[in-house]
Amino acid sequence: MKLAYFLPLEADNMQETQIDTWLYGVLARYGGEPQNRTFVNLQVALPAGGLMRDLLATLQMDTAERGITFINGDLSAMPGVQPDMDHPLKDGDRVAFFHLQSMWPFQYRHGVGMIDEMQTAINGSENIGLHHTYRSMKMF
Amino acid sequence: MFFVRVNMTDRTFKVEETPAAYKYLGGRGLTSNVIANEVSPLCHALGPNNKLVFSPGILTGTSAPTSARISIGGKSPLTGGIKESNAGTSWAADLGVMNIQGLVIEGQPAEKGQYWGISVIWDGKPKVEFFDATQYTGKVLSEIYPAMYAKFSDKVSVCSIGMAAEHGYSNSGVVFNDMKKRPTRYSGRGGLGAVMASKGLKFIVLNRAGAPGMQIVDKALFEEGRKEMISALRTHAVTKPKGALNSYGTAVLINILNEAGGLPTRNFSSGRFKGAPMIAGEAIFESNKTRKGKEVYNHSCSPGCIIQCSNTVYDAQGEEITSCLEYESAWSLGADCEIDNLDDVALMNALCNDYGLDTIETGTTIAVAMEAGVIPFGDSKGAINLIHEMGKGTPQGRILGAGTATTGRVYGMTRVPVVKGQSMPAYEPRAIKGIGITYATSTMGADHTAGYTIAPEIMGVMGKQDPLSSEGKAALSRAFQATTAFLDSTGHCLFIAFAILDIASGYQGMVDEINGVFGTSWTAEDILKQGGDILKVERKFNEEAGIGKEADRVPEFMKTEPLPPHNTVFDVSDDTLDSVFGEL
Repeated sequence: MKLAYFLPLEADNMQETQIDTWLYGVLARYGGEPQNRTFVNLQVALPAGGLMRDLLATLQMDTAERGITFINGDLSAMPGVQPDMDHPLKDGDRVAFFHLQSMWPFQYRHGVGMIDEMQTAINGSENIGLHHTYRSMKMF
Repeated sequence: MFFVRVNMTDRTFKVEETPAAYKYLGGRGLTSNVIANEVSPLCHALGPNNKLVFSPGILTGTSAPTSARISIGGKSPLTGGIKESNAGTSWAADLGVMNIQGLVIEGQPAEKGQYWGISVIWDGKPKVEFFDATQYTGKVLSEIYPAMYAKFSDKVSVCSIGMAAEHGYSNSGVVFNDMKKRPTRYSGRGGLGAVMASKGLKFIVLNRAGAPGMQIVDKALFEEGRKEMISALRTHAVTKPKGALNSYGTAVLINILNEAGGLPTRNFSSGRFKGAPMIAGEAIFESNKTRKGKEVYNHSCSPGCIIQCSNTVYDAQGEEITSCLEYESAWSLGADCEIDNLDDVALMNALCNDYGLDTIETGTTIAVAMEAGVIPFGDSKGAINLIHEMGKGTPQGRILGAGTATTGRVYGMTRVPVVKGQSMPAYEPRAIKGIGITYATSTMGADHTAGYTIAPEIMGVMGKQDPLSSEGKAALSRAFQATTAFLDSTGHCLFIAFAILDIASGYQGMVDEINGVFGTSWTAEDILKQGGDILKVERKFNEEAGIGKEADRVPEFMKTEPLPPHNTVFDVSDDTLDSVFGEL
């Protein structure tokens, strides 16, 4: 699978951060390869201090289209639970977006690393994120 | 319902009514109780005093969806403890339709190197006929299965063992036919194939013609429950048609675990594999679409399954390489060996099926051998050759066929990913602590199917414990293992758990199905208790076999070697691990 590059950094603009972005399944089309349904890895440039919502905007991907999401291997979102929208991204962060047909049963993610916002959401939920999907943060 | 006992010492059989103590048991609940009651924990697993017990689940043979699972029990030559391994196949449904609640294989023939088959037919009640099967030994399973259908008719279901079992490997499974009458559905784990071979039994052929079908006490309640279950399975995102499992199969988990840093790679030395996307479910789906010129959705492994998660991998010419390639197999034969060639991984899977090897144990064994320098990591052709050596029974093949733990000892390795002698599946305990607790404490050895989450009610067992604490994780693992032990007794595939966890009516549907079959009024709490009772029986057997709480540990290297990319170790205390069963 060839690696795609998206909004490459300009050499004279070191104020930007590069995000190592992975798009899986049907989300690969947001990586500039409309026919690709497997995966795309691209480098996305964001202004310094960019947030998850900025990355989504740059990709032109509606946040409702993503499911399980990772930032540097830490769980940051799952279907219906997206506490990561305002998470600041750093230069070199690895962000992975999964399509809504993906899955990760609770017993296989129980005890994994999470970003602080996700951990806080889990701590405040009644069922520690037991379910596969949630309709909204309010039901979490 | 009947118990059929087959004595392989003198090739006789006995048909009796199901003993009262086993009346309300099925699947794992029945096999584990029979083994605990009738087999000495100290016997040799391949000796005459071990037994092999087959039992369909409580619902198997009924019209309950996705319920055609067969459980096999025995003392495991791999772990030395009790073992239950199950598979989805028409063979399971046929056993239920023939009203056989337990099929017990006993004894051992004096003749060495000679094999028999048994044909079980319906003649007013089950009847067993023996036939000489020695001519079918020493051959791959795909060659001999057609001969069985030619001999008995295309209406039968066939159970068998491969050359790996004939060699006596602790890594050998028991195989059943798939929906296309091919030998691909495995009770793979724990070496029960070698137990069957030790009894000189090569085939068990079932012919259900004339059998009465499953008895259901309260048909209205059963039907109500069945409909709720079907509705849950058909609407949930994971189990519905063209949903996650039907589209991508279980291999959809490859990319997820890789991103989580929990995909064991290069013999459990990293949690991330750069070649993971090449062997993942998404890659299989897209490769098939290109090679077949259309989208290919998955198929069922057994009659009545509406999840249909079994995939097929096609080669560049559009010909089938293997079916199916599960997540665990793609991982063990792929990422753990640093192999990212999907076609070669698929071929390795097909060879395991043909020789009768467990794909998980085979992959982890090859990875240990790779670390020992037998062949380099990433050498797919070398790995294929090692599987052939296992099948042929060469001296090196026999070492590998004994499993991951033995291979590690032979080559003096310290990074050997086993618990109780059984190798770990595809979830790294250092990255996913919860499954590490289940791996360590399961009565089966490291087992990814031992602790499924079935219902949110399970949170009730937590009391006031913090579920994110180590103690909380231990309590959850205990509850997961208990409910899974029960689910393994129903005949339902574990994957119904995805739907009934999220859809409460589906969970109640399962309870109603069972109460309908038995005429009972069990509650969700009863189910948890019954699952716990099964675990206690298994635990007691293991303790008497010399496998106590001291064996409830992950390998030492996982406590000392940080795992990239998170660079964490398994830091759950021994006291926490001991509390899983200590407080059962």
